Amino acid sequence: MIRVENLSKSFYHQQDESKILIDINLHIKRGECIILKGISGSGKTTLLSIIAGLDRPSKGKVLIDDEPISKLPDIFASKIRAKKIGMIFQHFNLFENLSVYENVTVPLIPSGLPLDDIYRAVDKSLKVANIYHKRSLVASRLSGGEKQRCAIARALVADPDIIVCDEPTANLDSQNSILFIETIKELHLMGKTIVIATHDPLFENLNFKSRIVPMFDGKIDE
Amino acid sequence: MNRAFWYFLSLQLFKERSKHLTIIVISILLIFILSSVLFISSSIRFSLEQTLKPQPDFVISRLQGGVNRSTPIEWSDELFDIYGVTKVTPRVYGRYFFRPKGKSFLIMGIDAFEEESHKSLEKLIDSIDIKAFLTGNNMIVGEGVKEYLQKNFYNNSYKFLTPKGKFIDIKIAKIVPKETRLLSNDMIIMPIDLAREVLGYTQDEVTDIAFNVPNPDEWSNIEDKLLSLHYDLGVVDKNEVKKSYETLYNYKSGFFLIIFLILIMTFSLILYQRYNMVYSTEKREIGLLRALGWSINDVLRLKFMESFILIVTSYIIGIFIAYIFVYIYNAPLLKNIFLGGQNLQNSVSFIPIIDIATLSSIFLLYAVPFIIAVIVPVWRVSVTNPKEAML
Ligand SMILES: Nc1ncnc2c1ncn2[C@@H]1O[C@H](COP(=O)(O)OP(=O)(O)O)[C@@H](O)[C@H]1O
Ligand SMILES: [Mg+2]
Repeated sequence: MIRVENLSKSFYHQQDESKILIDINLHIKRGECIILKGISGSGKTTLLSIIAGLDRPSKGKVLIDDEPISKLPDIFASKIRAKKIGMIFQHFNLFENLSVYENVTVPLIPSGLPLDDIYRAVDKSLKVANIYHKRSLVASRLSGGEKQRCAIARALVADPDIIVCDEPTANLDSQNSILFIETIKELHLMGKTIVIATHDPLFENLNFKSRIVPMFDGKIDE
Repeated sequence: MNRAFWYFLSLQLFKERSKHLTIIVISILLIFILSSVLFISSSIRFSLEQTLKPQPDFVISRLQGGVNRSTPIEWSDELFDIYGVTKVTPRVYGRYFFRPKGKSFLIMGIDAFEEESHKSLEKLIDSIDIKAFLTGNNMIVGEGVKEYLQKNFYNNSYKFLTPKGKFIDIKIAKIVPKETRLLSNDMIIMPIDLAREVLGYTQDEVTDIAFNVPNPDEWSNIEDKLLSLHYDLGVVDKNEVKKSYETLYNYKSGFFLIIFLILIMTFSLILYQRYNMVYSTEKREIGLLRALGWSINDVLRLKFMESFILIVTSYIIGIFIAYIFVYIYNAPLLKNIFLGGQNLQNSVSFIPIIDIATLSSIFLLYAVPFIIAVIVPVWRVSVTNPKEAML
């Protein structure tokens, strides 16, 4: 499903090179749940953004279903991202002025689907994420847990195979974090491939099958 | 561009309207000021052209000590002898000062034998019987004259006092219609002999003599010939008249240059603000759209359409308000700047002239820099800060 091959990433400040990711190899199979575990600054976000085709590697490549997303021009990379990857962020990143419902439409807007099909997908996704009852509320009025569920509905709306989460519980209380893990379990049972970057110990003992990948200083200790 | 895209675009515009409000309001104001000035000046230019078109190519008069004196009518016979001269017309006109407030109006005499001027009069005022008009004590007055006379309770006629101390009662036969108001506003037209009496000319005197020279190559030649005929002959050609009219309206151009500079500065500030808005508030939004599967092109298209709609809206509203301001409310304040110091300035009203070419160039001059100020940073943010949404 996802193959990361000899991936390195450096940032440059004038002449100074800082190596953020160093020679990473990672193979994620379909339906697997990966916990990318590492302290802040270890390079998790950078790795996720390259997997999602948002950033380019300095060396190596990322294949998604054998397509080299990291090497494709933006229009193709965006298509793969739109179709196959749903993203959930640490700060939820909703459009605060839009309603829950409107927020969930966003990933499907450039899809070319007719508006009615989009509405149908949004309804379905809102129900799965258990936020349908709050659909007309403006995002800024939601509680942290509700925002998270709205973000989940948005990540699911295009029915992607892969769900990428960056520090999903960093802004949630423990109760909502446990609820989130329950949702992840459901998604796992639905057969989604899940990649979670986190340093939250809650993810260390999940009651479903998962693989913890420790990350340290831009390297993966496998 | 499908319905889903429009749906989201309308959401963006509507739900984020407070973000755009300052820019919209200032844009409307800028376009309003710019197009008001444009409307007024093209309206004035149109009126000028209208007045200049029927003007004669040349006018001669007796000039003594730099002052215009009454001109002997025999001079017109000498003109007939010059090759290339046509439409020789002796004219009688002059300013008449009214008693009550010291206001002055322009009296013009019409010759009973002058077919040409009859035709232009008929064109000016339909349903007028020229023959009947010329045989009685009648006058045709401009709108401004009528208003002034009515204010002083002369509704149907006015008793003019001649230089010889005699009163002549002259009836108002017609009022000049509005389209020609700018310059015939303060005009009184009457039979030529009446005009002579009111203005104090004898039977063989006129104010000046007008004529045409159809071949422009002959102009300077004929001018020289005329000047050699009489030591006290003064000659003015149409180009000089045109220039003097133009300076009448353009003398405030320094003022408009300042307005224009202020507009440009304000516009630059708007561009600057819009440009920075991308980096301050939209950077995250762009990164988020990208993370949710939007391509760079999708984001650019959204931002382009958003700016375009904002500009078109401001443009239409600005022009609309300017139109109402100039053509319906007669441009209070601005009018005084254009026509300040003119006689009867308050009864001048502007003829609606829409100069499409200039209006569209205003649009382009506004839209193109504005859209560039949005698209360039949006593109840069999309390309250089790809994981913005994830931080
Ligand atoms: N655009 C960038 N330019 C320079 N350095 C960056 C950039 N993005 C991230 N970094 C650096 O890379 C390191 C890893 O960042 P990140 O991937 O966000 O780690 P994590 O998500 O594990 O906290 C950090 O030291 C960070 O400062
Ligand atoms: Mg991070």
